[in-house]
Amino acid sequence: MTIDYAIETDGLEKTYRTRFGGREVKAVACLTLRVPVGVKYGLLGPNGAGKTTFVKMLLSAVHPSAGSAKLFGQDARLPESRRPIGYLPENHRFPTYLTGAGMLDFYGALSGLPSSERHKRIPGLLKLVGLSDWGPVRIKKYSKGMLQRLGLAQALLHHPKLLILDEPTDGVDPSGRREIHAILNRLTSKGVTVFINSHLLSEVESFCEYVAIMRKGKLALEGKMSELLAGTGYTVNASHLSVDSLNEIRAAGAIIVHASNGVAIQSPDNDHANLVMDKIRAAGGSIESFTPSGASLEDLFLEATAERGD
Amino acid sequence: MQVFFALIADTFQEARARWLFWGLFSLSTLLILLFLFVLQVDVAAGAISALGVQSTVRRIYSIQRFVDLSYSWVCVGLYVFGTFLAILASAGLIPSVLEPGRISLLLSKPIGRTTLLLGRYFGNLLIVVLNTIYIVSGVWLIFAVKTNIRDYRFLLAIPIMIFVFAVLLCVVVFVGVISESAALSVMVPVAISLISGLLAQHQFMIKVLSSEWSRRVWLGLYWIVPKVFDLGKALHYWILLDRETDWVTPIWTSAAFGLVVLISSIVIFRKRDF
Repeated sequence: MTIDYAIETDGLEKTYRTRFGGREVKAVACLTLRVPVGVKYGLLGPNGAGKTTFVKMLLSAVHPSAGSAKLFGQDARLPESRRPIGYLPENHRFPTYLTGAGMLDFYGALSGLPSSERHKRIPGLLKLVGLSDWGPVRIKKYSKGMLQRLGLAQALLHHPKLLILDEPTDGVDPSGRREIHAILNRLTSKGVTVFINSHLLSEVESFCEYVAIMRKGKLALEGKMSELLAGTGYTVNASHLSVDSLNEIRAAGAIIVHASNGVAIQSPDNDHANLVMDKIRAAGGSIESFTPSGASLEDLFLEATAERGD
Repeated sequence: MQVFFALIADTFQEARARWLFWGLFSLSTLLILLFLFVLQVDVAAGAISALGVQSTVRRIYSIQRFVDLSYSWVCVGLYVFGTFLAILASAGLIPSVLEPGRISLLLSKPIGRTTLLLGRYFGNLLIVVLNTIYIVSGVWLIFAVKTNIRDYRFLLAIPIMIFVFAVLLCVVVFVGVISESAALSVMVPVAISLISGLLAQHQFMIKVLSSEWSRRVWLGLYWIVPKVFDLGKALHYWILLDRETDWVTPIWTSAAFGLVVLISSIVIFRKRDF
């Protein structure tokens, strides 16, 4: 049987009840999401959107009030379903009494990795995340960025098929971020699915192939990054156009914005863009560039999470 | 099994790093050294001179009696303070594992919540088992060498102390799972131990209580609450007087209490969101 999805949720919900008074707060509401196997998937949302609750439900740290979650086709409530998962939590608190190597050994044992394999894997992983000299040092001596790298090594130790990373580059310097992305890219090329929960839009935009944006516990937007960012219109940059020809183009329904080297003419669709280009040529103007006009992830995020009075 | 042993080893490492492990063993060593020092005053010779030399038979009886008395009171001291220290040392080990950021990572591993809690429970218990064996057998050895009287009944303190601690540890786990408070995890089992002393006076209380319902409540509580006081008293008298005691009733009622509390802890832990 082929498994198409690493993560599969159907109508997943979590409602918290206040201790006294019984007031209900819906953290996640009827969330249906499919994460295909082998992709880089980003989950975004403003604070309190329900991202962490959603991730915790996948890992069975939080019990859903309704709906279901599956990991590689297995019910997420079963401990066995978590065997192929590598997880790096946000605000992790690794036992500070352990050394870096000791911590990897402990979590490796809990992941079911035999002792001999742990001893083989740990030095290599410490080297991979740039901590090869820090293995025998107690964790309490580590900086935030080093803890994050160690956390990533912990998540990778047992050859996971799905990595769930909560703010993976939080506290890591820019070169460290690049290294982490390179490690993750290598893993995805080997078929590992990477699911990132982050508030760093630029990180998700540059790294992920798929994105989902949550708002107030619901899925506000979801899809392939390239398609979501592509938009539907086109921009024609042109120069050497007279005022009369610009007025004629404007009258045809185009939006004209003055740019440094001429004008940027925005067309709503392909046919209209071709019409605009014909008019530019007829007027003796010069076409400098022709590009599909796309939105940035920030634009999409702000639009998807805007208050709508609901 | 690998997971279970890893959890036990982790509890050990945490206890060691928090100095709980070394603290317990240092205090135990200090107590053993104290006995060694006190018994430099030769117990046997001291007892002979203190009791006077009437006859050989009487002298032997008196020395035996003196040693029994020492054994039984030392046993009571170890029982009370040893159990209290063990609870104090164990109280933080459950709340620490429930810290956000630590528990979510543990729960993300392919292990059941029951295994996680029991691994922690048995790791904790094992620390106290080792310490109890160390301190009781250490004190017994000093007594045995110094007095040449080997009273093996004293060694019964080892299983009884471990048993009582195992029952009270269930309460520590229960309170830890519910409240995540180390302070409360000490207070509740200590309070239960004190209450068990009061409830143990049930024969007297039944006579003085005026209403039938209050007598029933008292007796009901006596049967429910673990018999920390009764077991300590039984141990004391058994060593002191070699008196046959009903061990079965306080043991099974306390064990049932511990089991119910531990199962409740597991049920609550399994249902909780972290």
